[in-house]
Amino acid sequence: MLANSEIDKEESSSSLPVLEVSNGWKSFGHVTALRDVKLQAYPGETLAILGDNGAGKSTLVKVLAGVHNLDAGELRINGKMVDRTSPLLAKRNGISTVFQDLAVIETLDIAANMFLGQQLRRGRIFANRRRMFTEAAESLAALGVRVPSVRAQLGELSGGQRQGVAIARAVREDNPIVLMDEPTAALGVRETAHVGQIIRELTRRGKCVILVSHDLEFVLEFSDRLLVLRLGRVQGARSTASANQQEVVAMITGLVGSDEAKARS
Amino acid sequence: MLEPDTIEPGLPTGPKGAADETRVPTLSKVAAGETRLPALRRIALSPSLALALTIGIFVLYGLTQTSEFASGAVWINIVRDASFTAIIASFEAIVIIGGGIDLSVGSIFAAGAMVSAALASQGLSPFIAFAAGTMTGAGVGLVNGLIVNYFSIPAIIVTLGTMFGVSSLVVHFSQGQPIAPLPNSFAYIGQNDLFGVPYIIYVAVVIAVIAYLLLHATTLGWNVRALGANREAARSSGIRVRALSISLYVYCGAAAAFAGGLEAARLGAGSPDFGTGLELTVIAAAIIGGTSIYGGLGTIPGAALGSLLLSVLATGLILLNIDPTLQDLATGVVLILAAGLDQVRRRQMFRTSARRAHAAENG
Repeated sequence: MLANSEIDKEESSSSLPVLEVSNGWKSFGHVTALRDVKLQAYPGETLAILGDNGAGKSTLVKVLAGVHNLDAGELRINGKMVDRTSPLLAKRNGISTVFQDLAVIETLDIAANMFLGQQLRRGRIFANRRRMFTEAAESLAALGVRVPSVRAQLGELSGGQRQGVAIARAVREDNPIVLMDEPTAALGVRETAHVGQIIRELTRRGKCVILVSHDLEFVLEFSDRLLVLRLGRVQGARSTASANQQEVVAMITGLVGSDEAKARS
Repeated sequence: MLEPDTIEPGLPTGPKGAADETRVPTLSKVAAGETRLPALRRIALSPSLALALTIGIFVLYGLTQTSEFASGAVWINIVRDASFTAIIASFEAIVIIGGGIDLSVGSIFAAGAMVSAALASQGLSPFIAFAAGTMTGAGVGLVNGLIVNYFSIPAIIVTLGTMFGVSSLVVHFSQGQPIAPLPNSFAYIGQNDLFGVPYIIYVAVVIAVIAYLLLHATTLGWNVRALGANREAARSSGIRVRALSISLYVYCGAAAAFAGGLEAARLGAGSPDFGTGLELTVIAAAIIGGTSIYGGLGTIPGAALGSLLLSVLATGLILLNIDPTLQDLATGVVLILAAGLDQVRRRQMFRTSARRAHAAENG
């Protein structure tokens, strides 16, 4: 098992990155959200992206999820260059995403939300609602997400339940790459730990998990590598096992300079 | 809501759950009962039921006032009038549920009528005449959809623009003159009955059923609701929102133009002033039928019943000897009541969320 491995995989040649960004730039109007960002993620590992508000974490996740295209730079999925992307293409390329805003539809029931954009069909055009009800219930039960009924409208659920549905949806898609943007934001201590178990299980099955979270303790416990962003730049990458909390906090807040700057000086 | 304790790690519930239980025991009991009866609650709040009851009560009252309410001929007229509205309202509802709106259906109705009538009067087969009229409407719908989705101009503005534009083109090409007479082969479907019921009504039922299947049974229908409720989430989930949205305007335009062709067949003439103000009747029917103007919610049976209610009111108020100038007042009141019901439904949905979440934690 690769988790807890001491090797910094960026230097290991044993496996190729499933997801790679090089020299990634992204601006919105006058705001440059990503500056020359570099990211490599490997199968069977959890790469955590850390950073303060406005560091570019969510932008980076949205680039990976196909919501935004990079202005400049390269995005590679399984070594294949992606020129123009979209959420649909990202999904077809094997990427599932738990968005920060969850991307759920409040006026639809849980099952419809679980199969949003990829409904089970009966014949060519008909929705197979019955199978979606059954399979949604099975997926939720397997992950221990408790909901009143898969027929309940999403708008009737609590924040934690909604988060559970969004995570279950990404897990059910069974894609090799899973992006999670603040997956524990609405969760209590117990449920957060449970999400950690889900992440471990995903990496054990050889999937690549990219995790964005404010919760430093959670990240240090459940990730294999850390990528710290600050003001759109990569401050540095660390293997979680060798990282210490003070240094990571210093990197996030900018108390220490970026690795690149240190290398230059 | 109190505690987002919902992902259950398989551990026994701790003292926190127990504390909740003692704090608000009655609330959780109420909630548990409610989760067992979501279907009943939903039916009770359904706009279709409210509509059916409204129509029923109005008709019962009418029957106590005049026996004409029991006349078959009167009802055939009521339902035939409703048919035209319902054909368009079914697809207008789908556009609105998908987060848009189409104000150009009245103009498209006239365009469809005139194109069909022009071709029929040239001696072309009724099939070709209807097909060409319908395609004209689909074409205008395509223009609506493309502009709305690629130029990010609000649908209400774009379709208001095409409403004026199409109407102007119809008058221009027809020189403002009606096209008549039309051959019997074309007028046949608009003027004849089967088992005493006009063909028009069968046609409307078939089209409403198609719209129903589209919205309620196909994957497209579920994507439409996602699109209307939360376009960003729909896009993030891999739904091709632009193509989907464009297709809805195409269907709606086609339905409006086809209905225009039917009207030309019924009257044996096409006139450029067909469909004036029809867009507002159609939108009112959809909203009265429970379509939420905010998108995401609505049903086809509701839109059909909304069309029927407007038609029943129009004829019924005349039968009751109420000043016909007050008819639109009744329509207005019903419309606002329907929109109010939509608000209540939404609020109800989110108010119960707290209780439900609680029930799930403790149940």
